[in-house]
Amino acid sequence: MSKPDRKLRQLLSSYLVAGLSVGLAVVFTLLSGSAIKDATAFFFCSVMLTSWYGGLWPGVLAAVLSALALDYYFIPPLYALGVGPEDAADMIVFVATAFFISWLNGDQKRAKASISKARDELEASVKERTADLKKVNQQLQLEIAERKTAEQRFLEAQTEIARIARITTMGELAASIAHEINQPLGSIVTTGDACLRWLKAQPPDINEAQLAVEAIIRDASRASNVVVRTRKLLRRGERLRESVNINEVINEVLNWLEVELQRNEIRSRIELQEEVPPVIVDRVLLQQVLVNLIMNAIDAMRTVSDRMKELGVLTEQHDSNPILVRVLDSGVGIDSDDMSRLFEAFYTTKPKGIGMGLTISRSIIEAHGGRLWAERNDGPGSTFCFTLPIGKESEA
Amino acid sequence: MNSEEPIVFAVDDDASMQEALSRLFRSIGMQTRIFSSAEEFLAFDRPNAPACLVLDVRLPGLSGLELQRELGEVDIPIIFITGHGDIPMSVQAMKAGAVEFLTKPFRDQALLDAIQQAIRRDRANRKQRAELVEHRVRYEALTPREREVMALVVAGLLNKQIAVKLGTTEFTVKIHRKGVMHKMQASSLADLVRMAEKLGVSTPKE
Repeated sequence: MSKPDRKLRQLLSSYLVAGLSVGLAVVFTLLSGSAIKDATAFFFCSVMLTSWYGGLWPGVLAAVLSALALDYYFIPPLYALGVGPEDAADMIVFVATAFFISWLNGDQKRAKASISKARDELEASVKERTADLKKVNQQLQLEIAERKTAEQRFLEAQTEIARIARITTMGELAASIAHEINQPLGSIVTTGDACLRWLKAQPPDINEAQLAVEAIIRDASRASNVVVRTRKLLRRGERLRESVNINEVINEVLNWLEVELQRNEIRSRIELQEEVPPVIVDRVLLQQVLVNLIMNAIDAMRTVSDRMKELGVLTEQHDSNPILVRVLDSGVGIDSDDMSRLFEAFYTTKPKGIGMGLTISRSIIEAHGGRLWAERNDGPGSTFCFTLPIGKESEA
Repeated sequence: MNSEEPIVFAVDDDASMQEALSRLFRSIGMQTRIFSSAEEFLAFDRPNAPACLVLDVRLPGLSGLELQRELGEVDIPIIFITGHGDIPMSVQAMKAGAVEFLTKPFRDQALLDAIQQAIRRDRANRKQRAELVEHRVRYEALTPREREVMALVVAGLLNKQIAVKLGTTEFTVKIHRKGVMHKMQASSLADLVRMAEKLGVSTPKE
């Protein structure tokens, strides 16, 4: 139904109410007869009802109709229009009062209408704003999701870069060592060939052959020196060993991996024994081991959906025994075939793995005088444990 | 000309490799001269003899590949040796005309075979160069008229045509032609054409 239609209907019904109520007033007043002293009472009711229902103008109509009806039915001469001078004052008072009532009610009605209109408008605008907000919110959610994806991609790229950088460094190191060693090896082979020729000559030149062998020995020691130097270079890292609180390192690493844990909806259960004695380690290498073990745990739980994903990191230490660190997961676990090959170089169960993580981790822990091993959990998942001797510098 | 004693040059910055190479060459009685840098080799006044160059890729200062570029393709055949060669490096060297690319450690026979091949190549190069010099000397000895006749002869003109072109008689042309063949020591017309090609003699402009 359109708006003007409704208005028209309202208007019509208001005037209908005016007619009906005045009619009823006539009927009631006639029926009550002399029981009521003042014949105007029902007509006032009629004017009030009409103006309350329809506002000023229907009220005025009711007042006029009432005045006419009063005049016709109740003011002598009865059943005829016309007012005698003795009733004129009463008639004027009635009409004035009726008009006043109409005006009051009409005014109130208008005020009410404008308030309700204002309320409607307010509601509409609130609705509109809410819709706007919803839209903005949706967009925001979308952007957040995009950002998260980007962050994830960034993290993946970073990990990949770090991995490549490590491999590249290893490759470069290997190339430079190969060159350093090939140089004396080249001399050795060439001198050896020359030596053979001196010996095969007729007559053999023993003196030259002897000089050649001496050169070979010299070059061989040079090659072996390269190996010694390389080893020294690698061992230089060990001088970075410092006294470290293992719990601190664990918290540090967990902090780094926080995002990764959240992203995979993994709960962490961290039970670190208070007051652990310090260990003498290369902090960076230890971090590397922990990152490796925790990342493995996360990887193992990636596909888990039917149970809680939980990462446990626990430390304990008693008397003067080594510190025991355990990294537990509720992941897919390790089958017995993999279990036996877990620490082999280049052995991997991951589609993108290179199979060096656990191998390197174990050699790091062993270089620090500890042990690293894997256990199957009673429930789902697996546990990787390592020990580190406490206190003084421990030589592997 | 081929009786000259060949000489092997070697450039390697590694002292013990220098020593090893010189020892090897000495053991087979080969004349050698060893340098520790490319610059040292370039400064050396090389004797006039068939030669080749055994060159380490990695050198301080001018690298082996740079020296190869500097020398050009025909100057001296090069055998590369390297402690750690990669494929792109060897491809580059071979493309630039190297005889062989050996990775240390290598066996003596591989090196000696390469040296034999390089010396053979240098002999051929040298022979060609010497011939060219010889031809030029002979060509310089021709009179201007004889040079004109030679250019027209190798262009395939008949004596009669040459005579018309030069405004002389066929008889005179025949005499000049005989002089050219004699002075250039050409055994046949084909021989003369080959020499003219190498010397870059072309038909004079009309």
